[in-house]
Amino acid sequence: MKKQLPAWLGFALALILLPQIFDSVLGISILNQMTIWIIFALSYNMLLGQGGMLSFGHAVYFGLGGFMSVHALNLIADEIIVFSITLIPLVGGAVGFLAALLIGSFSTRKSGTVFAMISLGIGELIVASSLIFADFFGGEAGVTGDRTYGPPFFGIEFLQDAEVYYLGAFWLFVATLFMCLFTQTPAGRMANAVRDNPERAEFIGYSTRRVRFISFCAAGLFAGVAGGLFAINYEFITEENLNALTSGRVLLMAYIGGLGFFIGPIIGAVILTLMNSLLSNYSEMWMLYLGIMFLLTVLFLPRGFAGFIMMHQTAWQNRRLGILILPYLITAIPASLFLAGFVGLIELSHIGDDTLPYFGLSLGAESMLSWGILLTLTGIGALGVKLSRPRLDAAWMLANTVTSDDGGDAQ
Amino acid sequence: MSLLTLDAVCKSFGSTCIINDVSLDIEAGEKHAIIGPNGAGKSTLFHLISGRYNVSSGAIGFQGKSIHNLPPYEIARRGIARSFQVTNIFPRMSVFENIRCALLWSEGYRYSFWQLVGRQKKLNEKAFDILEQIGLSEKAQLPSGELAYAQQRALELGVAVASGAELIMLDEPVAGMSNSEAENAVALIRRITEGKTLIMVEHDMNIVFDIADRISVLVYGEIIATDTPENIRGNKRVQEAYLGEVPCDA
Repeated sequence: MKKQLPAWLGFALALILLPQIFDSVLGISILNQMTIWIIFALSYNMLLGQGGMLSFGHAVYFGLGGFMSVHALNLIADEIIVFSITLIPLVGGAVGFLAALLIGSFSTRKSGTVFAMISLGIGELIVASSLIFADFFGGEAGVTGDRTYGPPFFGIEFLQDAEVYYLGAFWLFVATLFMCLFTQTPAGRMANAVRDNPERAEFIGYSTRRVRFISFCAAGLFAGVAGGLFAINYEFITEENLNALTSGRVLLMAYIGGLGFFIGPIIGAVILTLMNSLLSNYSEMWMLYLGIMFLLTVLFLPRGFAGFIMMHQTAWQNRRLGILILPYLITAIPASLFLAGFVGLIELSHIGDDTLPYFGLSLGAESMLSWGILLTLTGIGALGVKLSRPRLDAAWMLANTVTSDDGGDAQ
Repeated sequence: MSLLTLDAVCKSFGSTCIINDVSLDIEAGEKHAIIGPNGAGKSTLFHLISGRYNVSSGAIGFQGKSIHNLPPYEIARRGIARSFQVTNIFPRMSVFENIRCALLWSEGYRYSFWQLVGRQKKLNEKAFDILEQIGLSEKAQLPSGELAYAQQRALELGVAVASGAELIMLDEPVAGMSNSEAENAVALIRRITEGKTLIMVEHDMNIVFDIADRISVLVYGEIIATDTPENIRGNKRVQEAYLGEVPCDA
């Protein structure tokens, strides 16, 4: 942990400073979402990345924690219970933990496909019951609350989004710290061992089922904490927050970010939150772009964005990261052209009778010229990438070749 | 009293009987080899003792207590450790972590989620000691999946013996190694099983006769002889059934 101290201080500093830099209403709102999704994605990675459990129903613990938290907000508002709303994430965490305790007691008997199918089944079961038990889940309309009641926390009443942000940032820091510490405990190390080779884990004295169960409960707890933050931030929760859509979303976050690295889900949550809140303003097709990005990640970056960054470790150790910069930039130019052309084609294909504003041009779906411009752009981009690749590959080889002494002149 | 007792153990898969009425006593401290032609059921016998398979009938006792049909982790906790014929390690974890995980239960950490492994001085020192013994100190931080074959076999041994189990079972520990690698492996096996009880399945007769105090010959699921190496060499039935007819793999 001592070696990681600078990283943790940097993390804390970033959490404090970010709302000063992105201080617009939109900026704070996005940061608030990030605190929620990062915790949720990290908790998901306790299952998939660290424990090898593919779950299609992790939103259940997030959602149940969230619902209970909104109810807790209402109980506070009605003065039935009295405590500060700053502690609401603990309510969410407790509910997530209890739900995981109950469901995990049988679902973690199995691993692999069977576990995945059980998680899917449980997810559907909870969604179905959410429509049946309308008193608790509020039916299709969901449940609303109000975070501004209850005793003020040192004079803060959480009327402002920025105040909510710092509450979220606090819980994000605490949750991340504990999740990171968990990986370094005997239970956390054995979760990795069971992921790698469940059979051998049994022969060194560990019940794989018990190991999975512990990770599962911990993951449920932190998912519930994220659900509690969601309740505070939105003061509103519906069935959508515990269904397969949300479960799928957290899977995408963890995967795109990189399952094998602790920081991976953080990167994934940041990317997806940005896409969700920024890109969706510009294009109705943002889900398509997300899907394409997921596909490309699975095909070309199986270890996610974090894995892509870590690929450069050898070059960094060789002190040859520098020779990659120029080839990267050179490839980036045609790649951007390709991307611009490709996005243009997609947007134009569903623009209908409108015109598409495109770098000062007005493109129309009826005009052959418009299609021609975009196709040419895409083609030139693709060709450029193809032509610049050998240079990048050569630089990559050079950067990753271990040299006996550093005196060699890098060409 | 014997350390390990097999009493009329049978194992069948469907109607096929793989192990038939095997009785065997292993004394504490002895080095016991099990030999026999391919398909005789040697590995199955290992799986029965270590809990991977349940017995169809019969009983297995360890230190006077019945252990058959217990799950593998219960048997491991009682002091029976084993290696595998096909390397069976934690490939994405570092060499050091492989050994440290193998130590966790016997060092009493159980399922602890309130202690940090990095802070456990004794645990880490012990893991480094074992790495030293199996000659992998230099590779400690390498993902174990990236080790060379012979090194993976050494790690396989290390993971098996780390817990300090009383009974160590090795399933073809030198299979697939070159002569010099095998020599090193044999020296290693001697070193790490000193003062322990060893049961070993091995095809290389030189190694078997070199290490074993007693040898059992398993043919078609039955033990046809259990005796000292000299007597096994002279045993008519063994010669007929195994040594004479089927040339050994080595």
